[in-house]
Amino acid sequence: MTTEAPPSGDVSQVVEHLFRHESGKMVATLTRIFGVEHLTLAEDVVQEALARALQTWPFYGVPQNPSAWIMRASRNLALDVVRREKVFRDKEDAIIHQMKGSGAGVETPIFAAEEIADDRLRMMFICCHPLVPAEARVALTLKTLCGFSVKEISRAFLTTEAATAKQLTRAKQKIREERIPFEIPAGEDLTRRLDSVLQSLYLLFNEGYKASSGDRLVRADICHEAIYLTQLLAEHPATRQPRTHALLALMLLNSARLPARVDGEGNLLLLQDQDRTRWDRQLITRGILHLAQSASGDELTEYHVQAGIAACHCAAPDYASTDWAQILSYYDRLAQFDDSPVVALNRAVAVANLRGPAAGIEAVSAISTAAKLKDYHLYYAVLGEFELRLDHPKAAAAHFQKALELTDLKSERTFLEGKLKACTPR
Amino acid sequence: MNNEKQEYLLLFRGGNNWYKDLSPEELQQVMGKIKTWFDGLAEKGLVKGGQPLVAEGRIVSGKDGRTISDGPFAESKETIGGYTLILADNIDEAVKIAQGCPPLYFGGSVEVRPVAEECPMMAHAREVLGEKQLVGAGA
Repeated sequence: MTTEAPPSGDVSQVVEHLFRHESGKMVATLTRIFGVEHLTLAEDVVQEALARALQTWPFYGVPQNPSAWIMRASRNLALDVVRREKVFRDKEDAIIHQMKGSGAGVETPIFAAEEIADDRLRMMFICCHPLVPAEARVALTLKTLCGFSVKEISRAFLTTEAATAKQLTRAKQKIREERIPFEIPAGEDLTRRLDSVLQSLYLLFNEGYKASSGDRLVRADICHEAIYLTQLLAEHPATRQPRTHALLALMLLNSARLPARVDGEGNLLLLQDQDRTRWDRQLITRGILHLAQSASGDELTEYHVQAGIAACHCAAPDYASTDWAQILSYYDRLAQFDDSPVVALNRAVAVANLRGPAAGIEAVSAISTAAKLKDYHLYYAVLGEFELRLDHPKAAAAHFQKALELTDLKSERTFLEGKLKACTPR
Repeated sequence: MNNEKQEYLLLFRGGNNWYKDLSPEELQQVMGKIKTWFDGLAEKGLVKGGQPLVAEGRIVSGKDGRTISDGPFAESKETIGGYTLILADNIDEAVKIAQGCPPLYFGGSVEVRPVAEECPMMAHAREVLGEKQLVGAGA
């Protein structure tokens, strides 16, 4: 096999995540061409195209335009499939015509950038369609748009590969059965459908952000992918709405703190103990810019409020100078959107920082739905912290002990054990 | 140069199956590893050639060569995905080189075959005809 273009680069210079993102683009575009019922076939074709790159680039060099190369290889393999598979017999000619492209030089992308951008958005609207089961939306998004394997998804969500595979199959079946159209919704429908997409991306980000499960590297990757996809929405005329910017701001501002969240040994560090010079200034700047863009129109979403909280933290040069009054007012707002006890617990932390640990304990006991927190280790960790600050080591120790019984995660256990030690008088 | 070294053919089997369950991200990483492995050998002057093979092809058989069947061979675990001709001191050395091949970690296999110093048919011809007559034939 000969390369189509004069090779130029070294494999090691291939852009980071190139395969992953080209895969997301091509799966989306081929899904439009094949029809959404042939989504799996589109995935297989793209996988094969990437394999061809893997087999040839190390030996012949990387083509000048790797993205166009992958596009062309995907197109050629797709043409083979269309000619071979009976299901395409009726629309074979139409599909082939669609894929012929410009026919210009090998370095010219076959599909236009705008077309691909639209296809990826359509794919997001498919994966996050309200008719797709909520828990499957995130998995399907990771699979089709971010090119995560079944194994990687199950590692991230701490489930078995079989369970993930089943979930994906069912989601695809649902899409087929319901004949969900491959399109960017318009008008009234757009608002509702965009909400579903944003919510799924928010869940995706949280899945990566939360410290309580899975492989750390995979989780950071998931945060970046959530940002990448939300960024696509923030750039597209149909979806760049204030709440899209708010969600993106919230993701950027929170992920800016990721590098400082653990110490050299992978142990968790609280906000007050983090080295703020390790916060990613570039992400903070981008976050603030999108927060500014989110402040138009008259809508105030949960994302706005959460981004506001994250911005307060990022703006404080140190823990002591954090604007807790502002943060508390955001939590009061947030409680109106979301009456979850976890929000109320976080609000109590803001109360304690503003008015002292006793007020914090009072705020915790005022949580009407606290019963739901009885198996939540952070509930006890927070109470333990308040008691410790009140110089009640005995009460604090009992809380930390209880928290320890409720978590298996090594980094959290190490943290809680340290706290427990601090409770015993020296 | 490499007078004492012998030629070995590495056949990469498992062909086009080993990468099926890898994610694009993993494929990109493996690509980097293959490149490093291959360049390492090339720098030491141990590579005489090599190419990946396309999965589709034809099988010609039958006495008169008229039986031609199509690939694809992609389904078969025995499919050869590519070959490399290397130089090594002995078979153990060649095996050691093959052991560094990245696709092994994903279920591929490498067949290591010494290249015969002399083609058996040529050897036979030499015996029958005597050496001198074959020199002109490029032996």
